[in-house]
Amino acid sequence: MLQDAAGAVSARAVAKVDEAAVIRAVQHGDQDAFEQLVRAYDQSVLRLAMNLLRSPEDARDVYQEAFLRVYRNIHTFRFDCSFHTWLYRIVTNICLDHLRKRKVRREESAVVETADGPVDRMDSFEHEGAHEDPERRMWNRQLADRISAALADLTARERMVFELRHYQGLRLRTIGDMLGTSEEAAKNCLFRATQKMRGVLGDLV
Amino acid sequence: MTCDAVAKAIPLYHYGELAPEVEESVEEHLHVCAGCREELGRQKSLAAALDRNQLAPPPSLLAECRHELIRAVYREEAPAVSHRASDPWGLFREAFHSLWHPGIRFTRPAGAVALVALGFFAARFVNFGPGGLGFPGTEAMVSSIRSVQPDNSGRVQIALDETHRRVISGRLEDQNIQRLLLAAAREPDNPGVRVESVELLKDRSASVEVRTALIEAVTHDANPGVRLKALEGLKSFAADPDVRKTLAQVLLKDQNPGVRIQVIDLLIAHKDDATVRILQTLVGKEDNSYVRMRCQNALRDMNASVGTF
Repeated sequence: MLQDAAGAVSARAVAKVDEAAVIRAVQHGDQDAFEQLVRAYDQSVLRLAMNLLRSPEDARDVYQEAFLRVYRNIHTFRFDCSFHTWLYRIVTNICLDHLRKRKVRREESAVVETADGPVDRMDSFEHEGAHEDPERRMWNRQLADRISAALADLTARERMVFELRHYQGLRLRTIGDMLGTSEEAAKNCLFRATQKMRGVLGDLV
Repeated sequence: MTCDAVAKAIPLYHYGELAPEVEESVEEHLHVCAGCREELGRQKSLAAALDRNQLAPPPSLLAECRHELIRAVYREEAPAVSHRASDPWGLFREAFHSLWHPGIRFTRPAGAVALVALGFFAARFVNFGPGGLGFPGTEAMVSSIRSVQPDNSGRVQIALDETHRRVISGRLEDQNIQRLLLAAAREPDNPGVRVESVELLKDRSASVEVRTALIEAVTHDANPGVRLKALEGLKSFAADPDVRKTLAQVLLKDQNPGVRIQVIDLLIAHKDDATVRILQTLVGKEDNSYVRMRCQNALRDMNASVGTF
């Protein structure tokens, strides 16, 4: 057991060393290394953007803008925090901008009118555990709508903290660091977000 | 701990974000209080419901994002012509700076040199008579420093060559302007000028002269940014046999993966047997995994086998 743990620690250390080498290569203009770096993180970035913004178009914009900012500014990365934190700072800033803009023009509906009637664009994206019987699926649909409504009710910052803690599994200290705030402030955000969610979803869960 | 305090602590307890001593107190309370255990159960149900509703971006969206990003990154190589310095000393500083930052790829001095180059071109290629294009103005600027000599009084004597900038203005439809741009698109020493000129010419590929310049740029220009711009200009002629022949050669020869990706996109817009053969050849020798994947996908879309047998 102890050996396993030691093995895991050393594997992480090796991964860190390798990542540092890849980042240095990117800083020297190696585009293959940049591609390697992107592929190490882009799935989680896209998932974060998708869940936060609940719009494939916006998620795509965030992805593009975030990695282009990385590409343009990688020379300023000084290894004084993890690359993951640095990248997520960029991503969360862009997402927060999107969320705030959206609040100004009210929450966008994912439902669009088509010749066959209203269609929810998000239906084309798979929810985790989407393969159930029709009755279960209908109940889940109802729950998904309520979750969307509950998320829309959160402030941009509450939504971000909740997403990063619940879905991305990051510690509140790290989240505070990414968002340029204290761990205590992140805690308060998470608490408020959870209370609001429970207020909206209380009778369904 | 009271039930009220525990109820407030439950969300953070669930996420393991309480200080150890507070966590211990919450656990002690939960052990003896059925009501608070129920509250914790509700928190867990909420978390489970949220987990089930997490959106998973489809692989196709991820693939599209990667594709667009790679193209955007290769486009980043295209130099932006900036006109930040206007005084001679500023232009000199920028030019001097660029000597020490060759890796930054010609972005900074491009504006200054572009103007000089256009001035020279104007003199070389266009004969402006009275009533010609606009009113050429002249403005002194530094082209090279011959010597720098400090003296004992704390002053410095600098010997420099001055050249005169000549600004030409006219509409893109003007034949003289087009001739200048065609010449600028072949300017050997300045990719900044070339990329700007190709950018302006690319919407005029209906002209044989322009198309020839674009084909030349795609085939021979050393700068991938210029080649990518020229490819954009050839888009509406992607079905033309001569253009396709050029594209096929570029696809097999070009060192830049971004260029190869764009060529693939242009070629597969008009499917034919020759394209299938070229893509099959490329799959076998392509080093870049993304370009190889694009080839394989294109071949599958054309119902062609991925390799040659």
